[in-house]
Amino acid sequence: MKRDLTKVRNIGISAHIDSGKTTLTERILYYTQRIHAIHEVRGKDGVGATMDSMELEKERGITIQSAATYCSWKDHHINIIDTPGHVDFTVEVERALRVLDGAILILCSVGGVQSQSITVDRQMTRYNVPRIAFINKCDRTGANPYRVTEQLRDKLNLNAVMIQIPIGLESDMEGVVDLVSMKAIYFDGEQGDKVRYEEIPDNLKEEAEERREELLDAVSMFSDELMEAMLEEEEITEEMVHDAIRRGTLSLELAPVMLGSAYKNKGVQPLLDAVNMYLPCPTDVENIALDLDNDEAEVKVSNDPDDPLVALAFKLEDGRYGQLTYIRTYQGVIRKGDTIINTRTGKKTKVGRLVRLHANEMEEIEEAGSGDIVALFGVDCASGDTFCAPGLNWSMSTMHVPAPVISLAIRPVDNKAQANMSKALNRFTKEDPTFKTYVDHETNETIISGMGELHLEVYIERMKREYNAEVEIGAPQVAYRETITTRADFNYTHKKQTGGSGQFGRVGGYMEPLEEGEYEFVDEIVGGVIPREYIPSCDKGFQASMEKGTLIGAPITGVRVVINDGSFHAVDSSDMAFQQAAKGAFKEGYAKANPVIMEPIMKVAVEGPSEFQGAVMGSLNQRRGMIVGTFEEGNYTVVEAEMPLSEMFGYSTTLRSLTQGKAEFTMEFSTYKQVPKSVAEELMKKYQEEKNEG
Amino acid sequence: MGYESLVNQNPLRVLNLGRAGTQLGLVMARAGLGKTALLVQIALDSILRGNRVIHVSIGESIDKTKVWYDDIMQFILHDYTVSKPHELIDMVARHRMIMTFKEDAFSRPRLEERLNDLILQDIFRPNCLVVDGFDFENADRATIEDLKDFVESMSLQAWFSATSHRNDDRISPAGVPFPCHEVDDLFDTVILLKPEKDATIQLDIIRNNGVEVAADTSLKLDPSTMMVKEG
Repeated sequence: MKRDLTKVRNIGISAHIDSGKTTLTERILYYTQRIHAIHEVRGKDGVGATMDSMELEKERGITIQSAATYCSWKDHHINIIDTPGHVDFTVEVERALRVLDGAILILCSVGGVQSQSITVDRQMTRYNVPRIAFINKCDRTGANPYRVTEQLRDKLNLNAVMIQIPIGLESDMEGVVDLVSMKAIYFDGEQGDKVRYEEIPDNLKEEAEERREELLDAVSMFSDELMEAMLEEEEITEEMVHDAIRRGTLSLELAPVMLGSAYKNKGVQPLLDAVNMYLPCPTDVENIALDLDNDEAEVKVSNDPDDPLVALAFKLEDGRYGQLTYIRTYQGVIRKGDTIINTRTGKKTKVGRLVRLHANEMEEIEEAGSGDIVALFGVDCASGDTFCAPGLNWSMSTMHVPAPVISLAIRPVDNKAQANMSKALNRFTKEDPTFKTYVDHETNETIISGMGELHLEVYIERMKREYNAEVEIGAPQVAYRETITTRADFNYTHKKQTGGSGQFGRVGGYMEPLEEGEYEFVDEIVGGVIPREYIPSCDKGFQASMEKGTLIGAPITGVRVVINDGSFHAVDSSDMAFQQAAKGAFKEGYAKANPVIMEPIMKVAVEGPSEFQGAVMGSLNQRRGMIVGTFEEGNYTVVEAEMPLSEMFGYSTTLRSLTQGKAEFTMEFSTYKQVPKSVAEELMKKYQEEKNEG
Repeated sequence: MGYESLVNQNPLRVLNLGRAGTQLGLVMARAGLGKTALLVQIALDSILRGNRVIHVSIGESIDKTKVWYDDIMQFILHDYTVSKPHELIDMVARHRMIMTFKEDAFSRPRLEERLNDLILQDIFRPNCLVVDGFDFENADRATIEDLKDFVESMSLQAWFSATSHRNDDRISPAGVPFPCHEVDDLFDTVILLKPEKDATIQLDIIRNNGVEVAADTSLKLDPSTMMVKEG
């Protein structure tokens, strides 16, 4: 059955920790009749919200993995992806945003725009995702949706415009006034199922008129028809206003703001109406693929179900029945039994079971059309792979994957745990490109690395619960780097000529700091002093040397190597000889190039009551932080600082005790900077000691 | 310090920002004419002389304020030769702290509390204060005097910005427009930014270190970069 694409919505729900995403999603599923009972997120009735299907999520009250579900609202088909708000799970949010067409940004009416909302909004901007802001928890003490709307303008630079105003706030919250229809909306019944429209209460009429004027002023620029009607003082129809809001939202120049309380069952149904009216359908969004047969030329995907299939695998899960691959189709139709090609590997696969997703439940289907989000079984691939119909060799652009910044060593407690740990790590790394694992050949330890302490903590916990693999953990290690600070010459001869076939190669040139980028190799050899066929070996030798620096064994970055001299032997020169010569040359140059150690610097934002600001700044200062600035707002202050990651371990405990648990912080990678001399000396000393022991 | 050449080449040297003692400076202009750009250049000049600056931004975010510094630093690095640009950028970041306030959250007591937090904990000891976005229209003389006392008690050099309006032509005898026409005597240095017909912006230095200045001291803001240029 061909679905009308204009009635499809692929949306994500993103926000800060604890702003009520999961509760809102559950309410949406309830009202669209995907689930038949409402369960509280924190598991008060022992069941937990439907979307948080992992036990750990339910226990901690946080959402860890994204879950996808679909529902229908007033003849529109909506695919919703619920995503975690904590910065350590950024890759989940990035993946979801890559495949969605629109989003709901949830904010708490008390907390407002918080650090993570800023990160999430930045991600939405990176992927050009139109959004509706929903100010949740308007039933809470201190709720102030007007202030939050201001914050959306100030902190996120959004053209945020309220399209509703509240009828009462805090415990007096009764409903909302819709400024487009100029009607009051109430939500009756135990679960707020019955939506009732009434005249606006007298005490709110004036405010509603004023706010409507503001709304019309803001959106009229998106619609000539509306602008004209306003100037000519003609009748302004609801359709005109809806149309203007939609245009503004789709062009990313407007963010309509709505209000409610998901917990108190208020405001959800109008939000669903807004999703239908203002967020894009798949054909409203331009998606670009790369034609691998044509030098990666950009091509637009058509959204036409009659065109050959193009689909992106954006999430993998290894479950009971094998690997589940979540895909978004961008054109064509995918059918059970079809042959599809993974354009990264070239491998052909036959489509087995095809399912539509509900959080933790699946529905078997025969086919899915363009614009849809479904899942395949038993398809071996990696997250980010593109599948096409035979004959088409396109790739959707790869998703932005942040590099891990923290690692730690883990040791299974016994042999059984070892086997289970391997299974667990295998699964986790396939699912999550920012979670990496390798064995350190020197210490024989398994190292896991990720985006933050919480990121790794969660995987360790999952290993224990889901795979029965208990591990001991070592101290967290920071991903240091080494680099050079001055230019240095090298001229190295690799010679082994003691009789029989030997090895000979001489490489001359220089290395210098590279401003942008990790490594650059420049070949300035003239006159064939190094034969052309050995030049790649030189490059290979240099690159191998970049893997481990001499200061602390950290990867080297930011080096340009130029070769402009050398010599060879007619018999004894070989690829291997020149690789070794290059390695020797690199070592020689590196020692003279003033190498230094670099550490990851994080952008840290600490938010809490102003009374603790002094203590917070002191705590950051003590940890070699550089305070960039502070932002005061009423009784709350945000302190922004640049902090070495190595100083941030255990900071959450420190902060909690300094501020009576009232402050919180977020952290994201900023840049690499040179470590201070004293720190460098200590790191080098430790490295030497470990080398001597080993 | 190592940046004397930059300081000596800076067109702002006529303001003699390096002289000792406290002073209260005022930069006035209509909206969009370069007050923030000028304040940032004054702050950077102070930093290059080895001072530490607190940049107070009322009604603006930390990121937006930081971008001003980043952009102007890029222009400086483009126009002048600096042997180790990264070191300079780093040095500037270490000698500057940004404090932003919502309009209704700024007050002398609050500012004092914040500065004391920094000084008592030995986190940051400022020599210079820049306040961008203070609401002179709704502040009485007593408030400005209070701020002046505060600045003097902390031994700071302080610079304020104020926005004038086309449709209010009240002006003090010295030539300082509304809303500062009744408090201009409290300021040691007053600079007005005026648009010229050739699209440049003239720095009209009304008073410098308490001394009235002749009309021929000529500094302009280049409108494409907002950088101060001579002549």
